[in-house]
Amino acid sequence: MKVGFIGLGLMGRPMALNLLKAGHELSVWSRRNESMTPLVQAGATACSSAAEVAGRSEVVISMVADAPDVEQVALGPNGVADGAQAGLILVDMSTIAPAAAQSIAGRMAERGVTMLDAPVSGGEVGAIEGTLTIMVGGDEVDFRKVKPLFEAMGKTVSLIGTTGAGQVAKACNQILTGVGVAAVAEALNFAQKSGVDAARVRDALLGGFAYSRILENHGKRMLERNFRPGFKAWMHQKDMRIVLEEAHRLGLALPSSAATAQMFNAMVGSGLGEEDSVAMLKLLERMSGADAEGGS
Amino acid sequence: MRVGFIGLGTMGRPMAGHLIAAGHELAVWGRRPASTAPLAQKGALVCATPAEVAARSEAVITIVTNSRDVEAIAFGPKGLAEGFVPGSVHVDMSTIAASTARDLAERYARKGVGWVDAPVSGGERAATDATLAIMAGGSAETLAWVRPLLECLGRTIVHIGEAGAGQVAKACNQIIMVSAIQACAEAMHLARAANVDLAAVRNALLGGSANSKMLDMMGDRMVRRDFVNGIQARLHHKDFGILMNEAAVVGTPLPVAAQVWQQLNALMGNGWGMDDTSSLLRVLERGSGEGEP
Repeated sequence: MKVGFIGLGLMGRPMALNLLKAGHELSVWSRRNESMTPLVQAGATACSSAAEVAGRSEVVISMVADAPDVEQVALGPNGVADGAQAGLILVDMSTIAPAAAQSIAGRMAERGVTMLDAPVSGGEVGAIEGTLTIMVGGDEVDFRKVKPLFEAMGKTVSLIGTTGAGQVAKACNQILTGVGVAAVAEALNFAQKSGVDAARVRDALLGGFAYSRILENHGKRMLERNFRPGFKAWMHQKDMRIVLEEAHRLGLALPSSAATAQMFNAMVGSGLGEEDSVAMLKLLERMSGADAEGGS
Repeated sequence: MRVGFIGLGTMGRPMAGHLIAAGHELAVWGRRPASTAPLAQKGALVCATPAEVAARSEAVITIVTNSRDVEAIAFGPKGLAEGFVPGSVHVDMSTIAASTARDLAERYARKGVGWVDAPVSGGERAATDATLAIMAGGSAETLAWVRPLLECLGRTIVHIGEAGAGQVAKACNQIIMVSAIQACAEAMHLARAANVDLAAVRNALLGGSANSKMLDMMGDRMVRRDFVNGIQARLHHKDFGILMNEAAVVGTPLPVAAQVWQQLNALMGNGWGMDDTSSLLRVLERGSGEGEP
């Protein structure tokens, strides 16, 4: 298939490489030339604008940071809409608010471009290994057309519902992972502060009802004090903001998510934003008076 | 002074009346003609657009619902910016985001127009009695120039800092006030669950360290179960959306305010947004399986 890819960051680059590996013809564009280089070396065509990418593609995938970026890529000057051929499908795999996804899809429809929202879970490792979880919102016919591409990038691919439904599923995912990271950090800090070996606590709990992938993976990194991203705390803060803005709009109480979002605020405000979400442990240690390098 | 006034709602109408009573020449504009009629009867000049209001005024006061309204009135088509001459001042008394206030101040500065953000606390009662608490952001000179107008509307006028600082103070006001309403609701909820007389509890507490204006005012409404009259809860809900967003932008944790925000969300979800914020008690009752199904 002729595929365009815009947004070649930590996640986008390995995803695009997996599409090339699966034999698709790839066109890419990025504001910074150097982020296109590894893709060009692997056989992709570098373009000078999103519009040019659209002109060469049946499907364009975007993977950028936030709703304004998606808007710019889709509808901005020299954006996807400007270069789209008839029948083009834009697949936005960024994490943005469901309401923003619906609004952008509506405006793209007026320009003759259909859109799927298809945010992912699984992080950089999932992107490299092609094992992402992909949650899709949009039309079923479009979904079936694009499915081979999804399967080149992910392992679990689900059509959740109509436009925006993929982003709703992603918001649910962020509630679980955000609150989950906070819970694991609180439990391990509780063990430490009680003078108990937190590693043994984790080992024991992995065998019981408290097992979760977050306790396994994130918990391990907390114990190793490995705070390298991974998934940066500021990005999780952004995602929790999306969750809480939706809750505000819907008139919905999310008390645990709200508490967790405040912890992410504190991480960003106290200089932990560029570290992995697991640095939540450092924040908890500081709050209760441990020195910056933690432990007790 | 020649003064413009836009936003003749529950708060704005009595405020505009005070300015006329103090002898200022008033020009007004409203989307709905019905809102301007009572002021026209008192001698205000009704204009066709905000631009026309600005052209006739040395200072224009606005008090509307949200950031978007203020932006549209200021810089939208036929907005104030089109009518202002350099040296005039826009005094915005709405509760909006501090970032919006700073942004508007900058855009006006390029045109030589002054800006003061001057949100208020005290509600309809204080607007009627001209006893509002006014927290102002902007340059000291600009504030000094419009201070005589603000003195017609409020009792305390505090210069907080540069543009946007007034809105920061208002956000702080809302955190303290609505969190206090939530605390009152929880106290009343506990008293009721324990089968204790709510009025007696409130009376006792008013005499001690827990005394507060909210326990006095909102506690009373909770005791009487009068959830209808007062401040529309949807406005507090809106304010919390603004201030929690600011907290995220500056990276500040607000753990209690975040929980109050969720209770306000639940209040809205129950359809009580047009009722008074004392309805936070009803949210707790719902959570305990009480109240209408």
